[in-house]
Amino acid sequence: MTGKPSSRTTQQALTYLILGIATTFILMPEVWLLVTSLKKNTEYLSPQFTFLPAVPQWENYVQVFTMIPFLNYVRNSLVLGVTFTTLCVMSSSLAGYAFARIQAPGKNFFFSIVIALLMIPAIVTVIPQFVIFSQVGLTGTYWPWVLWGIGGSSFHIFLFRQFFANFPRELEEAAELDGCGPFRIFLEIFLPNAQPVLATSAILNFMWVWSDWFNPIIFLSDANTTLAVKLNYAYVTPQGQQLTPIVLAACVLYVMVPVVMFFLGQKHILQGIVTSGLKG
Amino acid sequence: MDIHLPLVQKGRSVRTQQSAANTQARKGMSPRAWRQARAFYLFISPWLLGFIFLSIVPLLVGLLISFSNYDGLNLMEVKSVGLRNYARALGDTETQYALQRTALWTLLNVPLWLAISFGLAMLMNQKVKGRGFFRTIFYLPSAVPVVAIVWIWKIFLDKNYGMVNGLLGLIRPGTALPWLTDYALQSLTAISLWTGLGSGMVIFLAGLQGIPTELEEAARIDGANGLQVWRHVTLPLMTPVLFFQLVLAIITSMQAYVVPMLISPGSGQNLSNLPPRGVYLYMIHTFQQIFVFRRFGYGIAMLWLLFILIIVLTFLVFRTQRYWVYYETETEEKKA
Repeated sequence: MTGKPSSRTTQQALTYLILGIATTFILMPEVWLLVTSLKKNTEYLSPQFTFLPAVPQWENYVQVFTMIPFLNYVRNSLVLGVTFTTLCVMSSSLAGYAFARIQAPGKNFFFSIVIALLMIPAIVTVIPQFVIFSQVGLTGTYWPWVLWGIGGSSFHIFLFRQFFANFPRELEEAAELDGCGPFRIFLEIFLPNAQPVLATSAILNFMWVWSDWFNPIIFLSDANTTLAVKLNYAYVTPQGQQLTPIVLAACVLYVMVPVVMFFLGQKHILQGIVTSGLKG
Repeated sequence: MDIHLPLVQKGRSVRTQQSAANTQARKGMSPRAWRQARAFYLFISPWLLGFIFLSIVPLLVGLLISFSNYDGLNLMEVKSVGLRNYARALGDTETQYALQRTALWTLLNVPLWLAISFGLAMLMNQKVKGRGFFRTIFYLPSAVPVVAIVWIWKIFLDKNYGMVNGLLGLIRPGTALPWLTDYALQSLTAISLWTGLGSGMVIFLAGLQGIPTELEEAARIDGANGLQVWRHVTLPLMTPVLFFQLVLAIITSMQAYVVPMLISPGSGQNLSNLPPRGVYLYMIHTFQQIFVFRRFGYGIAMLWLLFILIIVLTFLVFRTQRYWVYYETETEEKKA
């Protein structure tokens, strides 16, 4: 930043030093997770501190599947995730498109509600929802996720609206002259050109359900719960002692899904985060 | 006639003119305008139904419950208790304690998060080799599910088998600091920073990259040094982003629940395990009332109190804007 070459070198060195410290802070816990997931339980519980496992216990990763019906819980998480994501993307893209491209009385009023819901915390609705759902027998089922999906999400409506607002007007004018109705214009002209935002929305929605611990633990029962919940208490000895390294191995597998999804969609996701963060 | 507006692209004056023309045209709605309106409401109907049945109805039901003695089972003999739930919550020493911890946690977490993620963004805004690499690394924890985050940190900070105490033990044998219990608030802050630095940095970096380089160059030609340029050009132009992130961070911190809940030993299976006293936050106390003691009326009243507190706080923060947040026009005046 300053002119002198020597001070510039010092400053650069300092920059990399700080970035290095930050990188270490981020990576150390992750590395410790990986190495500990390969330790024997007795090794983990030994008072002697060792960084690497004496012999990597790949066995742990097999036990993740054999100790409990792991894949059942994966399936539960997947079913919830895919159901919610499909519905939420459909509902949010429709609403986002309408707010961006269709003119109607009352539009601004409803859009201000979308923005207000973006800021208003969900804490005042989730417990009454729980009360209502349990009165009508929807707790313990996947129905809440279906309903939440149909209702869409303010954040994703906003995301779609920002995206669709940037298309040139000529696009739908031409289609209208050809006699296309609004729904066909949306389906055949806008949606096929919306792959980046569709992917972002789908990935973020899926990651949200896959990561969620709070809603499954209050709305589902032990029998049909998700991996996020089951993971915490499933891997124990008959005496009830937690087998930490196996839990950690399960964690590694559990984390892989959103991390891989994030890397696949990184560019678009970061763009989406930035758009919502900067323009609110 | 009806007009489709790409709201973001068009200039503001054009937009207002056109929508004024719009309102005039709409007085006697043309068939086309009517078709458009019908399509609009059809398109937003799933969201609108969700808004009514998943937001408005629960909001009203919650409000009713908060004035009642509902405990989840006594639907037939529910009766109104007036404002008693609210009064009891305000007078309860446990609630006050939880609120105090929440305030402390917010005061610790929010400034640290803003400062460090802004600092990292400034470092990354220079000519840094491997910027993409660093950005990916910092952002990585944001993709990790909360359950895994807590497991990662549980074993990292474990009193007897954790890596931090293990490394400290190499320097001073026998170190066994109870991070997760006695220093729970500090640990929670570390976890929160670890998770959130990346997303904060990405947003601040985008903000910094949006600052026109001419402004900083002009200041430098006028003889300002690096620090002065930062203080008088970069920082003022970043205050709108800082402000928005501050508001969001306060709202999020005040509602912290899942991480402190999962930190507590033996947690994850049900909601009855209590976290250490240091992180006995407001939401934990509230959900304890609801899910363990089944005091729905009382618990929802507590949620409404927090909701009101958050709104008041947000409003107050908005009021401070004029003292420190610079919007484009103001900056021009400042420099003139």
